[in-house]
Amino acid sequence: MQPGPKVLAYFLGNENFPITDTLVASWLAVIILILFARLLKGRLNIIPGRLQSGVEILLSFIEGQIESMIPGSGRKLLPFIGTIFLFVGISTIMGLIPGLVNPTGDINTTLGMALMVFFFSQYLGIKKAGIKNYVKGFFEPIFLMFPMNVLGELAKPISHSFRLFGNVVGGGIIITLLYQFFPWLVPVPLHFWFDLFSAFIQVLIFGMIAISYISVAVSD
Amino acid sequence: MNFSPEFLDAIMKAAAYLGAGIGMIAGLGPGIGQGFAAGKAVEAVGRQPEARSDITATMLLGQAVAETTGIYSFVVSLLLIFVV
Repeated sequence: MQPGPKVLAYFLGNENFPITDTLVASWLAVIILILFARLLKGRLNIIPGRLQSGVEILLSFIEGQIESMIPGSGRKLLPFIGTIFLFVGISTIMGLIPGLVNPTGDINTTLGMALMVFFFSQYLGIKKAGIKNYVKGFFEPIFLMFPMNVLGELAKPISHSFRLFGNVVGGGIIITLLYQFFPWLVPVPLHFWFDLFSAFIQVLIFGMIAISYISVAVSD
Repeated sequence: MNFSPEFLDAIMKAAAYLGAGIGMIAGLGPGIGQGFAAGKAVEAVGRQPEARSDITATMLLGQAVAETTGIYSFVVSLLLIFVV
């Protein structure tokens, strides 16, 4: 057993552009989301149907989470944070389908998203405080703390991405080990714990930590 | 004393696997920390049942941060098992 992305083919036969199973699965997640959005957009109604109310409840929950941590910008940040929630959510429960892998079980996916949150929060912080106050914030409370402050900022995307990656890969490894020792009767119910419940909590946490990083960057 | 390369390789593999196992002792820390946070959250809900949803959200966020060290040790163990 070897965790990590497997190379399926090479793009145009070029060794520098491998097409991994993570790439295929995350494109599939993107296509599912786009098709779902187009399907729903065609049937929007004043009186919501069952599907529309479900999506509305989900989106207003995300908006409420943003609003409780960054008051006044729930509607403005909803597209960004909501996309993170939906994409990470789809790609974390995707591994339940046989033959597909979790795109979030690859450090490249999670680190990419954590870096996106990192740069976005820095951009919002610069826009809020101005470049002068932003640089000055690194020398608080005294200028000797500059390296610690920079390291503290840089550690954020690392811990943010490793948390989701570690949880998804850890659950996968435990289930794979159990499949080697027991027949299917023992490991299959555990998929509900590792692939549904734990994944749901981790998606919630990934999104909420993204919100809290942005709120820390915006508040000072 | 001369050792063959295969022997040295086997020693290195054994040490890496042993290190991966020992490294996961770090699971103790997050366990204690998360349990402490959950206990405090139960106390808070008992005192103020109407603030249940806020308390749960804060508890989950704090537990996720407490889990970070455990995840680091897990990643180090993965590297020791699959890369060394």
